Amino acid sequence: MGELFRRLRYLLRRHQLDQELEDDMDFHREMMARDGRRNFGNTLRLREDAREAWGWTWIDRCEQDLRYASRTLMRSPGFTTTAILVLAIGIGVNATAFSLFNMVALKPLPVRDPDSLLQLQRRSPEIIEGEMPYPSVVFYREHAKTLSAVMAVMGVPPMNMESSAEPVHTSFASENYFDELGTQAALGRLFDPVRENKPDASPVVVLSYGLWRRRFGADPSVLGRTIHLNKKPATVIGITPYTFASLGGQTPDLWLPLAQQPYFIEGSKVLTDSSAASVRMWARRATSVTAKMVEQELLTLTNELRRQHPKEIWDNEYIHSDPGGHLQVMQPEMYQVAAMVAVLTLLILAVACGNLGGLLLARGVTREHEIRIRVAIGASRQRIFRQLFTESLLLASLGSIAGAAISYAVLRVTLDLFDAPKWLNPGPDWRVLIFLVGMAFAAAIFFGLTPALQIARQRQKKPIARQVLVGAQVAASCVLLIVAGLLVRAMHHTLYTSPGFAYEQVFSIDPQLGQHGYAPNSAEAYLNQMESRLGGAPGVTSVSLVKMPPMGHVVARIDVEINGNSVAIYPNWVAGDFFQTMNIALLLGRTLLPGEKNAVVISESLARRRWPGQNPIGKQLVTDKSASSASDTVVGVVGDARLNALNDDDAVEEYWSAQADDMPSMSMVVKMSGPPESFTPVAKAIAESLDPKIFPEIRPLKSLFRENVSKVEQIATVVSLIGIVAGLLAGVGIVGLVAYSVSQRTKEIAIRLALGAERAQVLAVVLRQFQSPILVGLLAGVGVAAGASKVLRKVLYGVSNLDPASYAGAIVILVGIVGLAALLPARRVLQLNLAKILHYE
Amino acid sequence: MPMGDMPKIGMPSGALVLLVLRVLRSGPFHGYAMAQRIHTLSSEVLHVEEGSLYPALQKMLLKGWVRAEWGISETNRKVRFYRLTPDGRKQLEEELSDYNRVTEAIQNVLRTA
Repeated sequence: MGELFRRLRYLLRRHQLDQELEDDMDFHREMMARDGRRNFGNTLRLREDAREAWGWTWIDRCEQDLRYASRTLMRSPGFTTTAILVLAIGIGVNATAFSLFNMVALKPLPVRDPDSLLQLQRRSPEIIEGEMPYPSVVFYREHAKTLSAVMAVMGVPPMNMESSAEPVHTSFASENYFDELGTQAALGRLFDPVRENKPDASPVVVLSYGLWRRRFGADPSVLGRTIHLNKKPATVIGITPYTFASLGGQTPDLWLPLAQQPYFIEGSKVLTDSSAASVRMWARRATSVTAKMVEQELLTLTNELRRQHPKEIWDNEYIHSDPGGHLQVMQPEMYQVAAMVAVLTLLILAVACGNLGGLLLARGVTREHEIRIRVAIGASRQRIFRQLFTESLLLASLGSIAGAAISYAVLRVTLDLFDAPKWLNPGPDWRVLIFLVGMAFAAAIFFGLTPALQIARQRQKKPIARQVLVGAQVAASCVLLIVAGLLVRAMHHTLYTSPGFAYEQVFSIDPQLGQHGYAPNSAEAYLNQMESRLGGAPGVTSVSLVKMPPMGHVVARIDVEINGNSVAIYPNWVAGDFFQTMNIALLLGRTLLPGEKNAVVISESLARRRWPGQNPIGKQLVTDKSASSASDTVVGVVGDARLNALNDDDAVEEYWSAQADDMPSMSMVVKMSGPPESFTPVAKAIAESLDPKIFPEIRPLKSLFRENVSKVEQIATVVSLIGIVAGLLAGVGIVGLVAYSVSQRTKEIAIRLALGAERAQVLAVVLRQFQSPILVGLLAGVGVAAGASKVLRKVLYGVSNLDPASYAGAIVILVGIVGLAALLPARRVLQLNLAKILHYE
Repeated sequence: MPMGDMPKIGMPSGALVLLVLRVLRSGPFHGYAMAQRIHTLSSEVLHVEEGSLYPALQKMLLKGWVRAEWGISETNRKVRFYRLTPDGRKQLEEELSDYNRVTEAIQNVLRTA
């Protein structure tokens, strides 16, 4: 304790105490001289030995090394700028990717006690369901002792506010929602756990900050005003804060109390219907309770619930919990994507480091002279290595700082562009700072260690280090270019090939009859009337019914095993004329009859997978072992149509005839022949006349499709950009390395030429050493890309992850860059002035 | 002072600390005076070199066994004098008793073996 204190005190008064020691020793010498004795020791050395006791001499050495390194770097500004730029790209890309991951999955939400928040979902070994029946949520809330609070959120289709054409996104939240999150209103008040809990309380609405600004011009007098949502009046009571953090990254325009849902959605019974999946469930763990204990208690409660509602609870059902205190509740497949992105960005860093390593090696040659002198006057190899490595660390730190700046700029733009929640801040937090420091160290080791070792040992003549560097750069940029190629191809594929169904002039209309309390009979009547009215509208050629509309809000998926492979089946319930309306070709057999039972129409791919080479018509098909129904007979085969899995080429479909019970949850699809612009107002007018309570969601499939494709487009653009940057970096690196090896062998080349060798031959000799590393790099790159891109399959829109065009394209581009990069500096061989070189020697 | 042909007797570093502590028990000294005193008291057998004295003193400062203070040398120069601290006194006692035990043990072996 005392010793540490003295050590630190010494550090602070180091210069004064050093001076005192020097005085002591000077005095000692004077006295010795007076006594007629002499001393031969080196005073500086003796003093350093004495100082060593305090254990701080390393600081002096570091200081020296740093000063030396910054002087060296300043002396060659061209090299330094290039190096920092290259590193800034490599580290910046990684820092950006990590910052995004940090925002999404690591940063705790700025709410009260984010660690205890849980997202709860129904699961069984076969089924994952994001939403729960509200009565179950109430049951869990009332009985679970391991939960201190339970929140419920219900998303609904956009509502109409006043008479404006622009619909507003709406969420119903349980009355305790804002209170539990500790949110303070920007203006007015948010939901009150007591006042808003009664269904008969006066209807209220909380506006989001964004909507308040956009639609009300940030007018504070909006408080207390009555607005109309789907024609229902409600009083504005408050505005959420600008930096509001909601659960699960939701950003609706306005919030309504869940208890008042039956008022806003007239006739709705979802709050009492124990079979309707309607709300997302969030909860807070009680203190000193683990998530495991919560799951265990909920399992007992689920079993209790099964006794009350045997039909509604699945076999082996349980409640799965995920930590809910982050922007995104991470699922395993998201980690997979994150890991893939991490690999790609690290590859860029690898290319950047390989590049820089080459530059450093080349610089080593020019510094050979200096280093030889320093070794000659007594510098140890260790010390020289330390000095060179300090230089690398300094470079890496500067690169890291520049990278952080790039990442900040990119994140700022990205957050604005994607309208991210306002509490997210592009500035680095402590996790990002640690990451940046780690990256700087890793980069310094990657690019600086080998050259420093080689130069310090004065053994940089061997080409192996250069070859490894070239190989690594080629391999890494090869992977990046291939992945970029695959994504670009996927984008083109979606843009220029059909997804298997018509979307150009088709609308989907979702009236949400079930949400409005329609029984099967009345729903069927409504749909029939709607269908005939729509059929008579101008330009409409065909109308049909479907339960899971294309690119809809709800997707059902059944994962089954066929011949040992896992296959994702997308089930759907349709009317018989659905295929014709959607332009899905009927390939074999017949379509479904109205209300037909135990008959199924399957997609071409499913038929091929299930019964390869056989006629599937008349075969028996058991889809879901857990479903009670007996097997179905295959009556028809239709073309593949990835209605709800646009990106997944492996998806297959099954269609059943919609039953009477399905009617309240059916949507309509309408195909037009004429210009589709006029359709929406016509459909709205028809809906208004049929039942003014209902505001169907009318969506053109074309724009949904575009939206979906533009996402891939963006990703493909970013990855291509990164791939090209990596390829160019590799090219620059190779230019440097070839130039270096030419300059290193100038003498030898000149002698060969003088002895009569052909210039082309000499050129080949110089380039030969790069041949195998480039080949090995290409092979390794292709191998890694082929292996790693399996993860990509599901987002490739039907392009194989082994798509030969992408691979060939990437290899051609890379070979082009590399070839050019190698030939440019090698040309110097052909222009050597023999006489001068040999004379100089 | 002639060095003669007699080889200087090197000193184990532990012993130097012990001697310095012992010398300082009789009062504060500056470095050179310590070296001189040890040299004289050992009948000119032991030489304390600059190169071992000052590292040892730094170590003792670090351990808190001695404290440096300003004083005036016999040549009228402002120099640092080293003074034993209570910790240093304790350390001296410990090292002395250790030393005595070890020498006694060695003597026993030498006498009886």
